[in-house]
Amino acid sequence: MAEAAAQSTGLASIAKDWSSDVTTFKGVPWGKAMMWIFLLSDTFIFGIFLTSYMTVRATTAEAWPNPSEVFSLTLFGTTVPLLLIAIMTFDLITSSGTMALAVNYGYRRDKKKAVIFMLATAFFGFVFVGMQAFEWYKLISEGVRPWGNPWGAAQFGSCFFMITGFHGLHVSAGVVYLSIISYRVWRGKYDDTNFEIVEITGLYWHFVDLVWVFIFAFFYLW
Amino acid sequence: MAQAEIPYQEAIPLHDPHSWITKYWFSQDHKVIAVQYGITAVAVGLVALVLSWIMRTQIGFPGMFEWITPDIYYQSVTMHGMIMVIYLLTAFLLGSFGNYLVPLMLGARDMVFPFVNMISYHVYFASVIILMLGYLPGMEGPTGAGWTLYPPQAILSGTPGADWGILTMLASLAVFIVAFTMGGLNYITTILQARTRGMTMMRMPLSIWGIGMATVLGLLAFPALFVSAIMMTLDNVLGTSFFMPAISSAGAEHEYEGGSPLLFQHLFWFFGHPEVYIVALPAFGVVSDLISVHARKNIFGYRLMVWAIVAIGGLSFIVWAHHMYVAGMHPYFGFFFATTTLIIAVPTAIKVYNWTLTLWRANIRFTVPMLFAIAFVLTFVVGGLTGLFLGNVIVDVPLSDTYFVVAHFHMVMGVAPILVIFGGIYHWYPKITGRMLNDTIGRIHFWITFIGTYAIYFPMHFLAIPRRYYEYNVGESAILTPSMDILNQSITITAYIVGIAQFLFIYNLIVSYRHGREAGDNPWEANSLEWRTPQTPPVHGNWGERLPTVHRWAYDFSVPGEERDFIPQDVPRKAQA
Amino acid sequence: MASGNNHSSQDKGNMAVAIFLLIIVIVSVLLSFFSPWQFTEIASNWGYIDFTVILTFWICGIVFVVIGLFMVYTTWKFRYRADARADYEPENPKLEWWLTIVTTIGVVAMLAPGLIVWNDFVNPPDDVQEVEVLSKQWGWAFRFPGEDGKFGTVHVDNIDADNSFGMNMADPNGEDDVLVQGNTLHLPVDQAYKVLLRSNDVLHDFWVPEFRAKMDAVPGMITYFWFTPTRIQDEPYEVVCAELCGRGHYTMRGWVKVDTQDDFQSWLGTQPTWADVQAATALDAMSPEAKRGREIWAAEGCNACHSLDGTAVVGPTWLNLWNSTRNLADGNTVTVDEAYFVESIREPAVKIVEGFSPAMVAYDDETVTQDEIQALIALLKESVDAPADAPDGP
Repeated sequence: MAEAAAQSTGLASIAKDWSSDVTTFKGVPWGKAMMWIFLLSDTFIFGIFLTSYMTVRATTAEAWPNPSEVFSLTLFGTTVPLLLIAIMTFDLITSSGTMALAVNYGYRRDKKKAVIFMLATAFFGFVFVGMQAFEWYKLISEGVRPWGNPWGAAQFGSCFFMITGFHGLHVSAGVVYLSIISYRVWRGKYDDTNFEIVEITGLYWHFVDLVWVFIFAFFYLW
Repeated sequence: MAQAEIPYQEAIPLHDPHSWITKYWFSQDHKVIAVQYGITAVAVGLVALVLSWIMRTQIGFPGMFEWITPDIYYQSVTMHGMIMVIYLLTAFLLGSFGNYLVPLMLGARDMVFPFVNMISYHVYFASVIILMLGYLPGMEGPTGAGWTLYPPQAILSGTPGADWGILTMLASLAVFIVAFTMGGLNYITTILQARTRGMTMMRMPLSIWGIGMATVLGLLAFPALFVSAIMMTLDNVLGTSFFMPAISSAGAEHEYEGGSPLLFQHLFWFFGHPEVYIVALPAFGVVSDLISVHARKNIFGYRLMVWAIVAIGGLSFIVWAHHMYVAGMHPYFGFFFATTTLIIAVPTAIKVYNWTLTLWRANIRFTVPMLFAIAFVLTFVVGGLTGLFLGNVIVDVPLSDTYFVVAHFHMVMGVAPILVIFGGIYHWYPKITGRMLNDTIGRIHFWITFIGTYAIYFPMHFLAIPRRYYEYNVGESAILTPSMDILNQSITITAYIVGIAQFLFIYNLIVSYRHGREAGDNPWEANSLEWRTPQTPPVHGNWGERLPTVHRWAYDFSVPGEERDFIPQDVPRKAQA
Repeated sequence: MASGNNHSSQDKGNMAVAIFLLIIVIVSVLLSFFSPWQFTEIASNWGYIDFTVILTFWICGIVFVVIGLFMVYTTWKFRYRADARADYEPENPKLEWWLTIVTTIGVVAMLAPGLIVWNDFVNPPDDVQEVEVLSKQWGWAFRFPGEDGKFGTVHVDNIDADNSFGMNMADPNGEDDVLVQGNTLHLPVDQAYKVLLRSNDVLHDFWVPEFRAKMDAVPGMITYFWFTPTRIQDEPYEVVCAELCGRGHYTMRGWVKVDTQDDFQSWLGTQPTWADVQAATALDAMSPEAKRGREIWAAEGCNACHSLDGTAVVGPTWLNLWNSTRNLADGNTVTVDEAYFVESIREPAVKIVEGFSPAMVAYDDETVTQDEIQALIALLKESVDAPADAPDGP
């Protein structure tokens, strides 16, 4: 069977490569493969959250509140739309940068710097969650509830709290995950590996950042 | 990034458990976890069996037992459906067969993350417990919304179990999905990464292809159920309006406004249709192996079988709305979904052809597993063909929500996969325990189950009456003719008999564990790796010092010029010369 | 090899499989043609739907017989013999291609006519009339657009005891809408009707098996299907709800009577318009306590199952109920007094009136207070047939 298409070309050769040799995926550590598959599944969760949000927003009877007014922040007397969200997004993108540095130093076996940058990433994540808590607090004090709000369709609050809440849980879990892994790296648990655990953690973190970009685009800019 | 860091599991030292608890209860051995999944699924399946008796009693003999109220009836219908689809079929085919077969058939020591695998089972167990909480006193019973849990009725007071029943159901489903995700990540990673030397993808037994593809479907489809469970819980508890439009139920107005019941149906079936294949694909795979082994012939068209599994899996994501032809969605969706649905019939038909063509010029041993496999093919043919009625949008209009649908899905994803589960248990029990199941009891069990279920579900296709009715002739209604009444009664009585026969099977499982005939290493003379373990039953780590090396596909039966009619996968090619 | 002999005895000469498969195929075919359970006789224009069903039946039936008989043959011919050996044939691309092509042709032969008929089904003809079906737990009501041919707008927020359709008071188009209560709809023969489906609460499905067509009613939106009734018969056609809608789902029946055009018009004339209903409400002579009872009757959902106008819905009507004597399902009789009425609310399953099902939920002291029960009793006492009571059309 396997030797039937020994000298195939083009698409057939790709199919053959993918389907024939046991070592095709062997360059990938198990943990990394598992994280990729998990993230694929998680992509569907967020995809369905966002699709549902878009469906609800398109079909609801009442008008949708204007996001640039709702999410504005008043500083020193001037109202700046989306200011807090811009800072949060900047914060999270910065954390992706520090995470990438941590992965880099991990593969260079520079444990100290890897740990420092992972902790920096966790710190930025923590700041993000804090700002998100502030945003929730602000909206709740303005009267936004999951079942209604002063400005329009009730689904605005429902979707907002559900989706940002679910994303916030992911960030919080990421902060915990990063802290544990950086502690273990520091303790030397991974000294006999080449620190791909840092990259696996990084995969998760970049995914959470990427999801935020989509939430940002669909929720705040639409 | 040396390759050496990912060895063939030989360099990794095994840690043998020492206490009874870590060996048999919180075990990380995939074989123990498989048996745990199996026992739990069978136990919960017996609950579903009793529930089906309750509802069949009501339909066959309405009014005979006053304690079967509409509430009890609808709760039984709902719980029976959900238990069978999720907690028995999915859990057994992937949790039990998946766990047992994936490492053994691929020549691996274990799943790649045994600890996560262990957690997976215990989370599944928790989900079963949560599911049953609805029956506790003070909970007012489980939900009676039908297994599809359609809002708005699922959370309104006109439906039984609208307070706690629906919440325990949704919580249980969410927990089950967590359990499945942990198990599923393991299966896929193991299939991709932990195959032994020479076990290329195109040498994997079809069981593994079926289980692997079904797991991929599960990981991508269960998110839809997870998200909709969260949203319905919020609708119920916090009063959000995701699925709830403005309604006036039982005279009282609700605070809901502007939600979409159809959104739930889309989400549910985006999960629900792949779910059909999550159940069917492992069954397809396992039955292919059973037929090949017991017919002493290679499976016909292996490569096409693999591509059919992949094609069915891919297509299953774009057919979901064929469950919603009369649900009130935009009518033009009907054109698209009818077309995709009938396209999926082609790879499915190819699989059927290849099973029957495998029997052609074979040397068929009618062992008990083979009997179940052949029964599966015929049952699946009936269920598949009736699916062509329901998949074609206009044909579905008069048939939807009638007993034709009930008959169809019981044939195709109720009875058919369960026949495979039975076949698989009879086939692999000797490997799991080292003893054969009693053959005579097995044959009695088979004939009652096969003929009985066929007698239940085939005539049901002709009952053109609405499903999910507690009683038919209400008031002046004459929708149920006397001949239909007789049919309903005979179906009910057959259901009692088939149900009782299952206890025979359980008796067989228990007694043969101690008193069954010694099986030996390879009683069926099969080729795949699980029959080549140094010990039977396999010990922790499966393979001893060195993992096997694979030299051929799993279907070298009756190779011309060979003395024996089977060549196991780890026999080197040069031995042929 | 030794293990091979273990089971050879049970393998030998087993023809049971082939025999039983043959019996199953034959019985299945016979049952398909001679069973007493066939479709009801069609009474609408949707003969094309029946055609597609029958076409699918024949194609699938032939495939079933061919595969079934092939399995009978293989399981008989190639059953185990100790001296036999199976062929070795990994694949046969030519045969596989042929099977794929033939299957595709069969699928297209079913799909193409199906889609053509579906196109008819979703596009009503130009001369179609409209009727609205309002579904609620657990009964049906109907609305015709009246002389102006336009439905008035509706919203569930408007629904109360006097306005069960939720008619919009401010919409002049609604004044002449004909409102039909009580589960029976009349339609004229040979006139195409577009059925607009609306639901107050949960999913329902309006299905008359004889008409073949059906569609779910979804709260919050309007769905539709169309059909032309083609056959007048003495008995009305039964409407069954075909989408699970709660514990009373199975009781949700209705009737469609197909009339000649003349009979239909005279029936329609007896039904009140929205303007009639409003006028009758204004003349309402009930005492304040009874009116309060009627509000509770609507708010607590009694109205879903118990009418005030004599129609039997899920439960007994409340018209002329007070002080009457009722036959119970267990053979006893009971007089409707305060004690029985309270018991029927607190523990409805204890005494069931003959001909009804125990579908009612129990209402405890918190849901319906003792004070509210007194108001309901006042309503019951005044719910008797009176000449001025029933609103009548012109």
